[in-house]
Amino acid sequence: MDISLIIAQFMSGISHGMMLFLIAAGLSLIFGVMNILNFAHASLWLVGAYLSYTFWYILQDYSIAMWLSIVLTTLSMGVIGMIIEIVLIRRIYNRDLSEQLLLTYGLILVIGDGIKIIWGVDNKLIPRPEIVATPIDFFGIPFDSYFIFVILTGLSVTFFLWWFLKKTRYGHIIRAAVYSREMVSALGIPIPRIYTGVFAMGIAIAGLAGAIQAPIGSITLGMDMSVVVQAFCVVVIGGFGSLLGTFVGALIVGEVYAFSILLWPQGALIFIFLVTAFILIVRPWGLFGTPMRK
Amino acid sequence: MNNKKKLLWIAAIFAAALILPLIIGEFWVHIAIQILIMGLFATSFNMIFGYMGQLSFGHAAYFGIGAYATGLLIVKASIPLHFSLAASMIVAGLSAVVFGYFCVRLTGIYFAILTLAFGQLIFYIVFQWYSFTGGDDGLQGVVPPDFLFSAYSYYYFTLIIVTAALIVMWMIGESPFGYTMRSIRDNDSRTRFLGINVRAYMHVNFIIASMFAGLAGGLFGPFNRSIAPDLLSWHHSGIPVFMAVIGGSRSFFGPFLGCIIYTFLMAFITGFTQYWPLVIGTIIILVVLFAPGGILGILESRIKALLSWKGIDEIGKKTDDESY
Repeated sequence: MDISLIIAQFMSGISHGMMLFLIAAGLSLIFGVMNILNFAHASLWLVGAYLSYTFWYILQDYSIAMWLSIVLTTLSMGVIGMIIEIVLIRRIYNRDLSEQLLLTYGLILVIGDGIKIIWGVDNKLIPRPEIVATPIDFFGIPFDSYFIFVILTGLSVTFFLWWFLKKTRYGHIIRAAVYSREMVSALGIPIPRIYTGVFAMGIAIAGLAGAIQAPIGSITLGMDMSVVVQAFCVVVIGGFGSLLGTFVGALIVGEVYAFSILLWPQGALIFIFLVTAFILIVRPWGLFGTPMRK
Repeated sequence: MNNKKKLLWIAAIFAAALILPLIIGEFWVHIAIQILIMGLFATSFNMIFGYMGQLSFGHAAYFGIGAYATGLLIVKASIPLHFSLAASMIVAGLSAVVFGYFCVRLTGIYFAILTLAFGQLIFYIVFQWYSFTGGDDGLQGVVPPDFLFSAYSYYYFTLIIVTAALIVMWMIGESPFGYTMRSIRDNDSRTRFLGINVRAYMHVNFIIASMFAGLAGGLFGPFNRSIAPDLLSWHHSGIPVFMAVIGGSRSFFGPFLGCIIYTFLMAFITGFTQYWPLVIGTIIILVVLFAPGGILGILESRIKALLSWKGIDEIGKKTDDESY
């Protein structure tokens, strides 16, 4: 195995990790703030991918069609997230865990069939625009230029989330709400509106991830199933509710995935699970999480 | 309700189940077999959910392992069904020894995630191991022995095994072990102070529940004549959760009742639409939103007298009001 192959694989691992980060970040954010585990997160990611196809299809005569479809998808998924929160999630804040999970499980079934009805069973493909279609030279190694775009997007979202949560007023409110809902609402801040915003943001990021996934390969039914489990592994490795943990976890899973594909293609997911199991034995609350609250 | 009356009810239901195939047509016998198998699956799930208080979202993996164990033994080694059913329980139990060890270290939502992740791991192993499991083609030609070939004989075979399994599970639930599980569910710190090794007890319970799920899976393969990896997947794991929630998880027969409702719904709805997941997904969402505690929670208050035989788990019922 020569060094250029290793570097190429390393870069593709980072780009896969960034994709996982975009999905897991919303999952972790929603769980951390609202204490609701959204099983349907990856299904909504897939909706984002299909939606971006539709936007691209309408706009395909323009040269910026793909870029525009990414923006439009992110915005519309934010709106969809808002609607889901107001109509469904808001009613189950104080329910048993089993009912919360059943509701999002029901959503998976509805979304899965909904995609089948709206977009059919055929695979969809968005051709890449010229600028990200050709490989670029990366220290003498040809490297898929679209992956550079994915990595840059992932880093920008990471930075945005960090800035938003640590530096802005709304970010401070959200972090305060994690520690005490009662105290925050006693200060006159409407908790339900904060929750709606957080859920919409999480779903918008998932939509963004779906939109930038679409031009990588074709969009197929059921591709959310393998991604959702990897996203769960990411948050378990990193620790729920920790942005840094999710970022590191995503890179670990991305790299494990990229290199195990080189060694034993069928076993990629198995390696990821082994890493997850190992971390759970050593640190059940994840690398950057805090020990479980009872 | 006293024990005598309870036994009378159960005997009456069993007798009704015995004469049932004489009245209904073959299509409904198939539905009845499905109810028995999925009812066993849901009841085994409830050993973890109702008695231990943890939500497993990967229980279908053990059902699927059981199905594949029986299926592979029948297809590749022509081992008779009654031996391969035992093998199903053992293989599912052994997998639960390994995976359960990690799962019982966590509780609540973390338990749900880990069971789900391990369930998907097993699903992917089966899905991708073409040479052994047939991958996504599944396993064809899982045929029961000649004397069980007709739906009627397979019904009685399933009825006997499921009844025996339910009796064993009921006895486990009523044993000191079962009451230890309830005590862990209601307060695991206090249980630990009593000197009970909570993790070990949970692990054993997880293994037993998985063995019965494996048995249900073993019965399912020859009934369905083929096995698909979908049986292990997460989508299949949600079904017993739904059954337990609509039927009531705090009574022994609740999940079984939920299974009857679910299976009838499915038989009815798949008759005129291929979008069964869409319909059941919508039903699940509506039940969670508008009927917390399940359909039976609503019915129970109205026709309590009629349903009072449900109250086998009377201790569990009393703790319903306490924190969960």
